[in-house]
Amino acid sequence: MLSQMMFSQTLAIVLNTFREAVRDRVLYNLIAFALILIASALLFGEISIGIQKTILLNVGLSSISIFGLLIAIFLGIGLVYKEMDKRSLYALLSKPIRRSQFIIGKFLGLNFTLLVNTALMSVGLWVALFYLMRRFEPQDQYLWVAIYFILLQLSLITGLCLFFSCFATPVLSAIFTFVAYVVGNFSADLRVFGELTQNGTLKGLSTALYYLLPNFSDFNVSAWVSHGNPVEGSVILLNTLYALCYNSVLVAAAVWIFSRKDLK
Amino acid sequence: MNSLKAQRGGWQTALLVAGGFAILVPAQMALDRRLAAYRQTPEMLWMPSRKVLRTLSLGHNGLLADIYWTRAVQYFGRQRILRRREYPLLAPLLEITVTLDPQLLVAYRFGGVFLAAPPPLGAGQPEKAIDLLRRGIQANPDQWRLWHDLGFIYYWELQDYPAASAAYLEGSKHPRAAPWMQVMAAVILQKGGDRATSRFLWTEIFQSTEDETIRDNARMHLDTLRALDDIEELERRAAAFRDRTGRWPQSFQEMTAAGLLEGLPADPQGHPYQLQPDGQITLHPSSEVKLDYGPSPEAR
Repeated sequence: MLSQMMFSQTLAIVLNTFREAVRDRVLYNLIAFALILIASALLFGEISIGIQKTILLNVGLSSISIFGLLIAIFLGIGLVYKEMDKRSLYALLSKPIRRSQFIIGKFLGLNFTLLVNTALMSVGLWVALFYLMRRFEPQDQYLWVAIYFILLQLSLITGLCLFFSCFATPVLSAIFTFVAYVVGNFSADLRVFGELTQNGTLKGLSTALYYLLPNFSDFNVSAWVSHGNPVEGSVILLNTLYALCYNSVLVAAAVWIFSRKDLK
Repeated sequence: MNSLKAQRGGWQTALLVAGGFAILVPAQMALDRRLAAYRQTPEMLWMPSRKVLRTLSLGHNGLLADIYWTRAVQYFGRQRILRRREYPLLAPLLEITVTLDPQLLVAYRFGGVFLAAPPPLGAGQPEKAIDLLRRGIQANPDQWRLWHDLGFIYYWELQDYPAASAAYLEGSKHPRAAPWMQVMAAVILQKGGDRATSRFLWTEIFQSTEDETIRDNARMHLDTLRALDDIEELERRAAAFRDRTGRWPQSFQEMTAAGLLEGLPADPQGHPYQLQPDGQITLHPSSEVKLDYGPSPEAR
């Protein structure tokens, strides 16, 4: 009974976060811009030779990823701060709702928003693909894997945003998240650097950082699938497991910080 | 009253916009003239390090590879239009492209043809083309056609028939390789650069590529081979005419009347061949078929 009530309360926060996000005009501007970019990829393909479809898929997947990243950061940094700034958080927490429910609800709500946005942009990409090729090919199904991996990446960004927004201002949260995203893309180089160095401390530090930072490069299969290549099932499973675990850690840390936050 | 005001406001805005552009356009034209010297920057790579570029792509290496591939194609096209005989940036642009996206097969195949071809057709760097194709084979072991492209450079550009044969033999071991790969390995080793082998290989390139530039290049080479065959045959028939009459024919009409020809012979571009007084056959001055290149004197 109690768990059912907690579930419905969290669900209400999830839906409310989604409703609040879809009221934001920035969201529509970004989606519209991404769709225009995907459509314009049809023209980019004309400039080059032999790879019109590859160009369309690369531009499309990169648009979904970049605009998804912007949406996740723009909306994510305000998740906690806005509620505190508008004082709506105090009204919410005066009810029998745990702080952990609030954080989890916000996290799932933004992920749901990103899922809907990504679905919209993906429809744009599939329409453009059909317009270009006049048919779908069996290997086009692997595009879904690339889109799914982009979603996993975006969920990690959301987790990072939420974590940082629990103790930093929106601007600082945006900067921290973006830096983590950039460094997370370099993590493989970080490890190589560690292996090349003769210094044991540096080697240990770089290895620790390699495992500590989110490894965004693991999710990068866009170029691979744009040539119609399949992605192994084990990679899909492991990436899903990685994103789930990393997000659990981030949300748990965010809950821990937020629970100790003095809201007076 | 209000509508009159709104109408006047509309006219004023339109006038302002028109007036603004009336100044902007000549100002831009003047700027274009004055800045022309500043804009004449040399061709550059933007980012010379392949590895740094891949890292900085932040996971969008596919997109960046497409941009570099487009640059490579445009660079090649521009150099050709400007009739420049050197393509110094073609190899680095293609290397960056395949570092960013090792599965972009078209870049290897394009590079294989146009890096190896002698100027002005290509960069005249067959060793770079070989390096590029070997990287392609390593990154795409299931693409047997890259072995064909590699073997073809050894065969056509370097006339290194043992190496060409070895490449075709290696490619023929691939389970999906066409049966003729193994045949080619043996034929090249045995006959070297004979015209029939060349024709077969160029036809294979012509039929298998999706790239229009590569196809045009293959068509041009096939035209050459056909013209060489035609010229050889026509000269043989002119010699037959002399054997019969004791003199060289003065026109193709004479040869037709003697039953040695069925009509006015034309080259692959449709231009009539020219019969010289000594029985030699030459191309029409307007013909663009080239006879001055090929794998070896034997093939000519």
